[in-house]
Amino acid sequence: MSTEIPLWDAAETRAFWPSAYDRIVLDQTDSTMAEAARRRDTLTGPTWILARNQIAAHGRRGRPWSMPPGNFAATLVMQPKGDPAQAALRSFTAAVALYQALAMLTGPKMLSLKWPNDVLLKGGKVAGILLESAGQGGGVDHLSIGIGVNLASAPDGSQVEDNAVPPISVVGAGGKASSPEDFLFWLASHFADLEQQFQQFGFDPIRHLWLKHAARLGEVITARLPSEQITGTFTTIDAEGHLILNTAKGERRIAAAEIYF
Amino acid sequence: MTKTTHDADVAFIQALAEVLKANDLTELQVKRDYGEGDSLNVRVSRQTQAVTQVAVPAPAPVAAAPAPALSAPAEETAEDPAQLPGAVTSPMVGTVYLQPEPTAAAFVGIGDTVEEGQTLLIVEAMKTMNQIPAPRGGTVRRILVEDGAPVEYGAPLMIID
Repeated sequence: MSTEIPLWDAAETRAFWPSAYDRIVLDQTDSTMAEAARRRDTLTGPTWILARNQIAAHGRRGRPWSMPPGNFAATLVMQPKGDPAQAALRSFTAAVALYQALAMLTGPKMLSLKWPNDVLLKGGKVAGILLESAGQGGGVDHLSIGIGVNLASAPDGSQVEDNAVPPISVVGAGGKASSPEDFLFWLASHFADLEQQFQQFGFDPIRHLWLKHAARLGEVITARLPSEQITGTFTTIDAEGHLILNTAKGERRIAAAEIYF
Repeated sequence: MTKTTHDADVAFIQALAEVLKANDLTELQVKRDYGEGDSLNVRVSRQTQAVTQVAVPAPAPVAAAPAPALSAPAEETAEDPAQLPGAVTSPMVGTVYLQPEPTAAAFVGIGDTVEEGQTLLIVEAMKTMNQIPAPRGGTVRRILVEDGAPVEYGAPLMIID
């Protein structure tokens, strides 16, 4: 892409790579989540797997994820300590890390967060985060955090479901162009710092950072669950990451839902 | 009793029923005195399977405590399936998915033979798809949750023996 210029000198960005993490860069794969599943038993530590092209990418619950060239697709594979509920809090860690990395390209003013891990750019869907974990006996054997970012271009909006957030890209919103490799350095660096905070102090610092950037805090939003729809004032997220909605029938704590503004 | 009063009473009782449901109570009793010899005494109760524990609305969420106001009440019966040998319980609060994706076949069905470690279902929380593996090899005897149902921590999901 002719408009693409390196944001930072390669040697300089490499200096920010978090030393505890490995990195694998692939020209092409089916999806970085599938790649992570195949490789995870051979990995010796937390590893970022980046692919320049994904030919069979998917989103949550098998939804298609379209990836035009120049966009970002990577999966972090890790073996977090703690139970599955603790592992799931990485949803917020990943969202805050992605917010911080994107802010370097767009500035922070156009960015906001939607529960639990959507990063919005000018209110549009600029990225997707998907987490998969598995474990025995109350523990977690592995956690894969897949992150796709529309760096260069947004996919065709006609495939988007009704009432879903329309897609947008960093460049399309007037942000700086970045190669996926450069973007990974910054994303991995921010994630490593936040993960260290999480391990040292628990969820609280991540929770506060997330709330600081949350869209529609204090406003009425709608959470759609498989069995019901809940509308109420978005007051906060609790210490376990639940979305708290104040409704006419009292307070509701929500662990899984699609959020609509 | 006039019709207006009657309608107001019906509305009042309906409101009580809503309160009962919203707060996951099993029984609620209210007496309203309108005047001498004129009162309304209402007791609203509903059938639940809870025999060992009555759900009480708790004010604030407390770490590691069972969530009081989450979407579904924890099912507890005299024969608590969570205590049965072979019970697979939920390691987290979330939403259950019995298929890998909506159009796919279920991970397992009743009567299926499963191997240790085989994925039985998914519990989603915070957009994290947590695969629940079979703790041991055996046969799927019971599936205690519906696809898309909210579950509490420790809720029985399946019986494998």
